[in-house]
Amino acid sequence: METLKSIYEVTWFILLVAAGVAVLIGYLYSHFKFYSRSWFFPAALAAFPLLALAVFGGLLGGYTFKLWLYFLLAEAAIAAFFRSVVKGRHTVPYLMLAPAFVGLALLLVYPFIFEVYLSFHDLKLTTIMTWKNTGTLPFVGIDQYVKVFTTSPLSETTFWHLLLRTLVWTFSNVFFHVLGGFILALMLNNHIKFKGFYRTLLVIPWAMPQVVAVLAMRGEFHSTNGFVNIVINKLLAVFPFLAGLGVAPVQWLTDYPLLTCTLINIWLGIPFMMVVILGGLQSISSSYYDAADIDGASYFQKLRFITLPLVRPVMMPAVTLGTVWTFNNINVIYLVTGQAGGTEQADILVSALYKAAFTYNRYSYSAAFALVVFAMLFFFSVFYLKSFDAAKDER
Amino acid sequence: MKKKMSAAAKRKRLNHLLLHTGLILFAAACVYPLLRIFSVSLRPGDKLVSMDLSIIPAGATLISYTKLLGDTMFLRWLWNSLLITLATSFIGVSLASTAAYAFSRFRFPGKKVGMILLLSSQMIPAGMLILPLFLMIMKLKLMNTYLGMIIAYSVSSLPFSIWILKGYYDTIPRSLEEAALVDGTSQVGAFWRIILPLSTPALSIAFLFNFTTAWNEYLVARVVLFSSKQYTWTLGLFELQGQYITQWGMFAAGSMLVTIPVLCVFLYSSKWLISGLTLGSVKG
Repeated sequence: METLKSIYEVTWFILLVAAGVAVLIGYLYSHFKFYSRSWFFPAALAAFPLLALAVFGGLLGGYTFKLWLYFLLAEAAIAAFFRSVVKGRHTVPYLMLAPAFVGLALLLVYPFIFEVYLSFHDLKLTTIMTWKNTGTLPFVGIDQYVKVFTTSPLSETTFWHLLLRTLVWTFSNVFFHVLGGFILALMLNNHIKFKGFYRTLLVIPWAMPQVVAVLAMRGEFHSTNGFVNIVINKLLAVFPFLAGLGVAPVQWLTDYPLLTCTLINIWLGIPFMMVVILGGLQSISSSYYDAADIDGASYFQKLRFITLPLVRPVMMPAVTLGTVWTFNNINVIYLVTGQAGGTEQADILVSALYKAAFTYNRYSYSAAFALVVFAMLFFFSVFYLKSFDAAKDER
Repeated sequence: MKKKMSAAAKRKRLNHLLLHTGLILFAAACVYPLLRIFSVSLRPGDKLVSMDLSIIPAGATLISYTKLLGDTMFLRWLWNSLLITLATSFIGVSLASTAAYAFSRFRFPGKKVGMILLLSSQMIPAGMLILPLFLMIMKLKLMNTYLGMIIAYSVSSLPFSIWILKGYYDTIPRSLEEAALVDGTSQVGAFWRIILPLSTPALSIAFLFNFTTAWNEYLVARVVLFSSKQYTWTLGLFELQGQYITQWGMFAAGSMLVTIPVLCVFLYSSKWLISGLTLGSVKG
């Protein structure tokens, strides 16, 4: 019975979305068709804002005059755009784009703008009820941004500390992802038996659902029942002299949480790099190596002067992507340390942001924090892509 | 001459031996955690916490599986996940398929801006939009519902799907549609009857990508869903793993049940997935 109800609920929603798309297309089509008629502008201004108010008013905070005014302005802008720019051309592409465009505008662009709005106001646990009921929030200016740099998002760590930790985390992860991926790809790029079999086994960390993989690895770092400490204990039993060298079982999750997260994430991320680099290696024509063999080049010379330069164009986008992913990786850190009473010594910027919002309920603060992080990432990407383009032009 | 050959062959053999050893070691490191979960899931209840390292434990039973299916709402969690994921992927791929076609075949004002916006939307950290989406869902009174989750997920993979599909459409020769247009179909008809059927591989890649993203999602689910009846499997497993050590066996059993199908689908489709990834980036 419950299942039937849930199917009904979801089907109903999909039909609603389909109906929304149909209405949207009808709406735009009327603009394409009648934009040049003299009655179109006043008719559109009279009809559409009222219709929109009737449909969305309840969702967006009541059937108010202010909302109608917003719809009126929007309709005026759209109608003017159709009259002066579109002029009834490009009907097919615009209609095909419209649903995705509206979806992205509502669920990607609007949330982004809303985040900016939040960051200049004060939404926290004490103000959220009034916001829910009345929709108003106290304006605080750049206060939240000042707080980002002066107070701690968590209970102890500061922004600068988190930033440093994030950089260390990102760099060490990406470095080992690329190194490990490269070594494995080189090993796989030989004519050996069971190649496909090895390849299949090696992508398992990537293929496993991340939640399962991380939680399982977290179990392996448990101080008494985890694989890592069991192996250390067994090694100590066999080679007692290792204890003199400082080898001992460690409380991974409480004493070295960042190291644990890094090890887990390295394990998770190598297969992706391996697959990308292997693709690059396989696209290198063997004639280069044949020529180098005739010249008597050594293995490392071939690696340095043929393989590396030719794999670079494939690798660079993957490395950029990997850097951004690692920088933004909340999953691993939150799943390892996010439980009640979990440590905060492993938190990087984005996971601190998530915890500030949803563990400490400091919504506006975390919105400002998110925008600061976004700005950093944005400048990194722009700068990086620019330098990549420049390097491309040189060649 | 002959002696030299055999020396070279010997060296090659040694190399291969080293390669195989290395690969076996790495492969073991990749597979072993999975085998460990498997082993824990088979342990009898009184030996869940043990330092045993064998893969099939002594006194292996399926009790964790029966307990998981009987005592917890695991099946319900799977069902919730499946429903949410299917709905999101369906909406996502439908929206992406037409938008990608517009980008691939037409010139129109705003095309370049649109493409750039699409790319730069990838730079927005996913974690950043969780907060506003959460507040929006709260305001729409959709907390703890399927609809809230579907709304939160539906466009998250849209830019990437559009990108992949556009790359694929670009490889389909235009002459096919032109022939259809001459025969009297409309532009939309040509898209529906020719392009869509031809791009099933790319559509399935996009669907798969949408599916896996939503299926494995944890962070949004964590804040939107709060009654265990509505949980997706990721939340359910996290609870099982977190609370008591006694549930470790059930966590392992649940992990196995979720991982095996996902693994099969991934390994089966990995060739397409990878070619889809590179195709999208090369053709962009």
